[in-house]
Amino acid sequence: MRLELTINGDPVRRDVAPDSVLLSVLRDDLQMVGTKWGCMTGDCGACTVLVDGSPVVSCLQLAAQVGGHSVTTIEGVAERGVLDQVQAAFVRNGAAQCGFCTPGMIMAVEALLDRHPGPVDEPLVRKELEGNLCRCTGYNKIIDAVLEVADLRAGDRACEHGHGGEPLTS
Amino acid sequence: MADVLTPTSVADAISMLGAHPGAHLVAGGTDVMLDLRTGRSHADSLIDLSRLSSQLSGIRAEGGRWRIGAMTTIRALEDDRELARQAPAIGEAATVLGSPQIRTMATIGGNLAHGTPSAEMPPPLLVHDASVELVGADGTRTIPLADLFVGPGRTSMRRPEILTAVVCDATDGGCGSVYLRQTVRWAMDLAGVGVAASVRVVDGRIETARIALGAVHPVPLLVPLASAVVVGHSYDPGLAREAGRLAAEACTPITDARGSSDYRRRVVAALVPRALRIAWLRATGQFTADRAPINGVLNEEGR
Repeated sequence: MRLELTINGDPVRRDVAPDSVLLSVLRDDLQMVGTKWGCMTGDCGACTVLVDGSPVVSCLQLAAQVGGHSVTTIEGVAERGVLDQVQAAFVRNGAAQCGFCTPGMIMAVEALLDRHPGPVDEPLVRKELEGNLCRCTGYNKIIDAVLEVADLRAGDRACEHGHGGEPLTS
Repeated sequence: MADVLTPTSVADAISMLGAHPGAHLVAGGTDVMLDLRTGRSHADSLIDLSRLSSQLSGIRAEGGRWRIGAMTTIRALEDDRELARQAPAIGEAATVLGSPQIRTMATIGGNLAHGTPSAEMPPPLLVHDASVELVGADGTRTIPLADLFVGPGRTSMRRPEILTAVVCDATDGGCGSVYLRQTVRWAMDLAGVGVAASVRVVDGRIETARIALGAVHPVPLLVPLASAVVVGHSYDPGLAREAGRLAAEACTPITDARGSSDYRRRVVAALVPRALRIAWLRATGQFTADRAPINGVLNEEGR
């Protein structure tokens, strides 16, 4: 089956097995192995990618259904080798240990911050990351990283609105 | 390897389903793709319904009822503020189904048509008096949601019928509903027990009440004998406990990884009174939050 879609902004055309899931198209057909093959049952979130900006588990996503849509994977997050805000915050906060859950976790965080552009608190972060399992570093550092990015973005918005360079404090 | 067929209309999908006896419908795919992967089912071909999502999605109020297109995602149900206000049990169930990833993919039609006894959406829809629209080669029929479920993984849909919409009650000032559940994990787990309740209060008394149970019977189950106990009275903890006892008697839970049969009955007996209380508090304007605590335990301020 001919599959045409956009991946990380680039048009992709590929012949794939008709019943392929998106994860196997990414990893096996396109050798984009940043997206991880975890439980293969939709439980662990390691294979999370964005389809039109919303998070899906690519292990259960019938590839045929994303034809014509726009997919963002972990490979599309950093620009020209420069980590984005979320990735940099994960590094600063020690939010990755073995790193296996990290690509899916980062994608889920990108979706979370898009969905909640305003203030976010810890219960909300935990709820929105409930579909991503981490088996080594634990969740506290990951949540710290997300809250830090949310604060940075609030500060950025304050700058845009003429409040000067300091993040707003309540 | 299964072929993928991509209908662009409901009529197309029905004729494909009729022409391919070994075909499975795929809406969000979160159940179907998992069943295929784990060998629980086999498909010669897959009928991808995603091209129908613009026709079959949407949450609309129509003449005091809600009409929810079958391809509406669980995420859309979770996000709908008006639905949360008028049918809080439905929003609550949507909020705890799977994970953000699963809610983005999964559809309400898929959740019902898969026939899973522990599915999240049937109990809240049952207490909102839901019906489903089934479109087949000979036209459309509408049946009460309770009549859709026949057994685990089995529904009364007659191939090549397709479930196109769910219609359910919107509640007004004197009504309240809630969905509570018990799970081993808070996320990515099916209900060990799901309980939904709704009440309509007139002049300080419960005029109608519905209680529905998930995961404790071969099908999602309305328990009218239990809800009848509270009708005609204002909320009373003793009557609510009696309703819980009757609900626990009416169901036939299995023992599995999520709990023993006996444990599940005890959880039903515990959750039903909490659900009735929150539904009552909502109906009488004493509990206004969009989401109740999922275990139904309110803090001292009643929130």
